[in-house]
Amino acid sequence: MAPTLSAAGRRALRLQRAVSLLLAPLWIPAFTALMWGALRWRIADAAPLRRAYARLRAESRAPLLICANHLTMLDSFVIGWALGGIGFYLRDFAALPWNTPERVHFADTWWKRALVYLLKCVPISRGSARGEVALVFEKLRFLMLRGDVALVFPEGGRSRSSRVEEANAAYGVGRLVNSLPGCRVLCVYLRGAGQHTWTDWPARGERFRATAQCIEPQSEARGLRASLDVSRQIVRRLAEMERAHFADHGAPPQPAPAAEAASASGAAAAPARAASAGVAAGGGDDR
Amino acid sequence: MDASDIQERVVKILTPYVKDQEALASVSAGTNILEDLKVNSARLVDVVLAFEDEFDIEIADEDVDAVNSVGDCVELIGKKLG
Repeated sequence: MAPTLSAAGRRALRLQRAVSLLLAPLWIPAFTALMWGALRWRIADAAPLRRAYARLRAESRAPLLICANHLTMLDSFVIGWALGGIGFYLRDFAALPWNTPERVHFADTWWKRALVYLLKCVPISRGSARGEVALVFEKLRFLMLRGDVALVFPEGGRSRSSRVEEANAAYGVGRLVNSLPGCRVLCVYLRGAGQHTWTDWPARGERFRATAQCIEPQSEARGLRASLDVSRQIVRRLAEMERAHFADHGAPPQPAPAAEAASASGAAAAPARAASAGVAAGGGDDR
Repeated sequence: MDASDIQERVVKILTPYVKDQEALASVSAGTNILEDLKVNSARLVDVVLAFEDEFDIEIADEDVDAVNSVGDCVELIGKKLG
């Protein structure tokens, strides 16, 4: 990946992290209280998922990228909550993932900009020039090399079909993974019981189920094709997790649209190696 | 192969991805692929991969970051062809 992040850019990210860490004892409990208390959201059987994530963090400091399906604008916060509690993140602040909210939704006013600054966010303008997108990924790369975890949505946006769309694999995610030797990818599938299609916010009182599988995607292809190949392996894994979720808990009533065939790029797909942390959430033990 | 030949083939490759077909009528080197032709940014990589196949060249990840206009494509391909 091109070394496009300037010294000033690196300093700005270090400062943002320091400010966020300093205020973490305030904002992490506040957001948890907001989700748990005011919005009455619950994560079904979060304990095994949290144990698996803590184990992943403990066993290696190799770069870790969380890749998730995407149905609501608040997914990243719910995923962060599903993977760890207040105490865990205060002890291991690097485990609280950075994420990349859409600038038009989360950085259009000064108070939202202040909020996303505090919440470990690097806003992105989806659909913008490749150079701008690449700069955001370069920031994530810098943070991940420092030991922080990042979270991205490899479909590039909320799924309009409410299903994981393999044809929408965003190439930049594979490029980020390939630029980080030994990078692990924690695929997280999250869905609220009442989440039949994509929305801005999950419903009040929503009950989420989450599963996670860690893979180390690799490709025998080169250049762009390797990046795209890795992105597709990640999204394919999310699609498999979605099928398992529907098999266990039933598919929402909305019919899936006709699958758009992924354009063949000629990439030589090396099978992703399942590493660890295959965790399926069941009932009880709500967080 | 001169620049106009390359541009002609570039436009042909871009055509199926273009949402604003009217913009194709006045395409020039300065035409922005995302803003003017309304090509989906997620499909830009497919376009670049098609360039690789069409011109039998290899384009690096970093090169894609500089591709904004039709002229950028022509220049990049011209360089790769030597």
